[in-house]
Amino acid sequence: MLPIVATLLLGLTLWGARVGAQEAENPFSGRVDARMGQRHYEAQCSNCHGLTATGNPESGGPDLTTGRFRTASSNAGLFRVIREGIRGTAMIGINRDSPDQAVWQVITYLNSLSPANIRAELPGSATAGQQLFQGKGDCVRCHIVSGEGGRLGPDLSEVGERRLLTELRSDLSAPNAEVDPRWWTVAVTREDGSVVRGLRMHEDSFSFRLMDEQERLRSFSKSQIRSFERDKSSTMPAYASLTTQEENDLVSYLLTLRRKP
Amino acid sequence: MTLTRVTTLLAVIASVHLTLAQEPASVAGAGMPLFSPVTWERLVNAADEPHNWLMYSGTFNSQRFSRLDQIDTSNVAGLKLVWAHHIPQLDRNETTPLVVDGVMFITESPSNVTAVDAASGRPYWRYEHELPDDLRICCGRNNRGVAILNETLYMSTLDAQIVGVDARSGSLLWNTEVADHREGYSKTAAPLIVKDKVITGIAGGEFGIRGFLDAYDAKTGTREWRTYTIPGPDHPDNRSWAGDSWRTGGSPTWITGSYDPELDLIYWGTGNPGPDYNGDVRGGDNLYADSVIALDGDSGEMSWYFQFTPHDVHDWDAIQIPVLADIEVDGASRKAMLWANRNAFYYTLDRETGEFLVGKPFARQTWAEGLDENGRPIRRPDTFPSTEGTLVAPTAGGATNWWSPAFSPHTGLLYVNAFDGEAKFFIRDEDYTAGDRFTGGGTDAPLPIDNYVSAIRAIDPATGDIRWEFPIKARSRAGVLATAGDLVFSGSVDGYLYALDATTGEELWHIALGGRMNASPMTYAVDGRQYVTMPSGNVVYTFALDN
Repeated sequence: MLPIVATLLLGLTLWGARVGAQEAENPFSGRVDARMGQRHYEAQCSNCHGLTATGNPESGGPDLTTGRFRTASSNAGLFRVIREGIRGTAMIGINRDSPDQAVWQVITYLNSLSPANIRAELPGSATAGQQLFQGKGDCVRCHIVSGEGGRLGPDLSEVGERRLLTELRSDLSAPNAEVDPRWWTVAVTREDGSVVRGLRMHEDSFSFRLMDEQERLRSFSKSQIRSFERDKSSTMPAYASLTTQEENDLVSYLLTLRRKP
Repeated sequence: MTLTRVTTLLAVIASVHLTLAQEPASVAGAGMPLFSPVTWERLVNAADEPHNWLMYSGTFNSQRFSRLDQIDTSNVAGLKLVWAHHIPQLDRNETTPLVVDGVMFITESPSNVTAVDAASGRPYWRYEHELPDDLRICCGRNNRGVAILNETLYMSTLDAQIVGVDARSGSLLWNTEVADHREGYSKTAAPLIVKDKVITGIAGGEFGIRGFLDAYDAKTGTREWRTYTIPGPDHPDNRSWAGDSWRTGGSPTWITGSYDPELDLIYWGTGNPGPDYNGDVRGGDNLYADSVIALDGDSGEMSWYFQFTPHDVHDWDAIQIPVLADIEVDGASRKAMLWANRNAFYYTLDRETGEFLVGKPFARQTWAEGLDENGRPIRRPDTFPSTEGTLVAPTAGGATNWWSPAFSPHTGLLYVNAFDGEAKFFIRDEDYTAGDRFTGGGTDAPLPIDNYVSAIRAIDPATGDIRWEFPIKARSRAGVLATAGDLVFSGSVDGYLYALDATTGEELWHIALGGRMNASPMTYAVDGRQYVTMPSGNVVYTFALDN
């Protein structure tokens, strides 16, 4: 029995070495693999990364649906991280009894979750959308794209990688539906009664930091102000006046905003 | 209050703040606007706003000296921890933060930068640079700091890119590939701003790269010039390399340089020739490896060079900070450059011409009889690496390394972290393959590290004499800060941060922070309160006196 186990282990090691190589293709990337990967994921990964892989703030496990991973930039890198874990962190490797096939299937599942990997048909003209974005829409007043634009809204340089077509439509028509706490507004009344408003860059128990309407940085200690109020609505207007064509063009443009190859 | 009135009030506050640009920043925690654009003029006059730390070495002369004197020899024993910032990813923490009007910018492993409130250490934003899986780096996933011009930060990344990041929001403005990381090029050092350009070097001396220094347009990231640190075959100095060895000769530029606005010269140290330990395959002096080069501030053309270690076979990179100071040597006032080298010799050079003025060992060395009248080492013949191993002092890590020295105009002394070590050097045949290590040998420690000692040494640059030393057991890999409070701060590998009397070397304060110290301390002030910051382990600690 021992020689058989040894041979099997040697085989697995060689297989691991081969598929772990930088240029390795994922050999298990079909739809069934994604479903199998989801099962493995739910059993072994979801405790720390959340059942839908969007992260678990309690455990600190990061969001795995963004198509970006802090410690891997390729499928081969992901394979290594899932197989071996990351030393010095809470990330342990997948169960040692799990075959490499399971690791690849988890990767296939994770890849299927990322808007970056979902290529939607563009409903309009990206060129016209860009003109609208930079012109009549005046979106650049608040949003940076490729280093140009304002700081009073999220950087949209790669928004096409993190938002789906339907989500972008909703962002435009109902901006208050889902506001990231980074973009809440805080109104601070200072000891002298003056009021400062700004976007909430960071808040903790004792302090918060804002970017005010002039895009200046301000830091407040909660013990040194009279009061403050959080406004969880978006500072972006709802673009109800857009025609269907304009909306189609705009979301088409936004979907093309992706990282440079 | 209407929006208009708020806006007007804010405008008034802003204008008041701008007129106070030379004063300490506004009341901490009360929400006054912080941060204002760092113009070229502000950089040139950085010493005049000591409450800020506007570039890696503090000022263009890289003295790492601060005019702040609130913390001094009489009260330093009262320093207390004010805040700590935790860096999420654990690796060597080599950063020197910048401080601009109450906002601190800290680089983090592997190639990230975060902005925090300098009075509380609490965050505004973090930029995380996405890295490929196939990095080829010699010495850990580290980054030493950013440069700033106006409202943009400039940072080197491990995948050999330079990025422009918005200082207010952390948004990426541009990124430019400096070199192909798959061939062993990488970047870790803080860039240096010269006028409207970002000057930045390259690492990869253990991978057979061909080193260079680059300038990029600060607005667009477009490359303006590149000066190779190994001249091409059309230059006579190329003959200092046997055959084609210049193509893979290393000579990287992996620490920040200095700048003299009056002479309009950029000064930068260069690293080891490659392969590190096998000089047989690269006969000749191997110019301009292990040198300081002086380049024109506009064109990048070389004005002069001085090579510390011709035909180096011990990995003694001249990757030290060029410290610029005007001092008296032999009765004459000189625009000098002070340089304690990894090869264990201290040098004073004339920074207008590169002329050698003073040279003397500042740490234990067994490889040279001394320096000749031109500063060239008189080498002992039996000190070359061998297959059986050759015992030489200093080690490959050197008598000092990239850790910043400091110069105090008050005492006229240069403070250097020195190490009296030794190593066995081995030679090995090795073929060059792009992207693979190319060192041609290696080293071994003959004895446990406790047999050796590091020391902060105070060197008189007029003579090269050592005025005092403060020994550190067993070892230090940290830089030095000097202040107008006549203090010298530094740290140790076993986690002590300490303050010495700059005149006598007497120890005045220490605290055990526990984590390895691989960076250089810095100091700044917010709202009139002076702080001292030092990274230890993957935490950045900040101290001050009680309010």
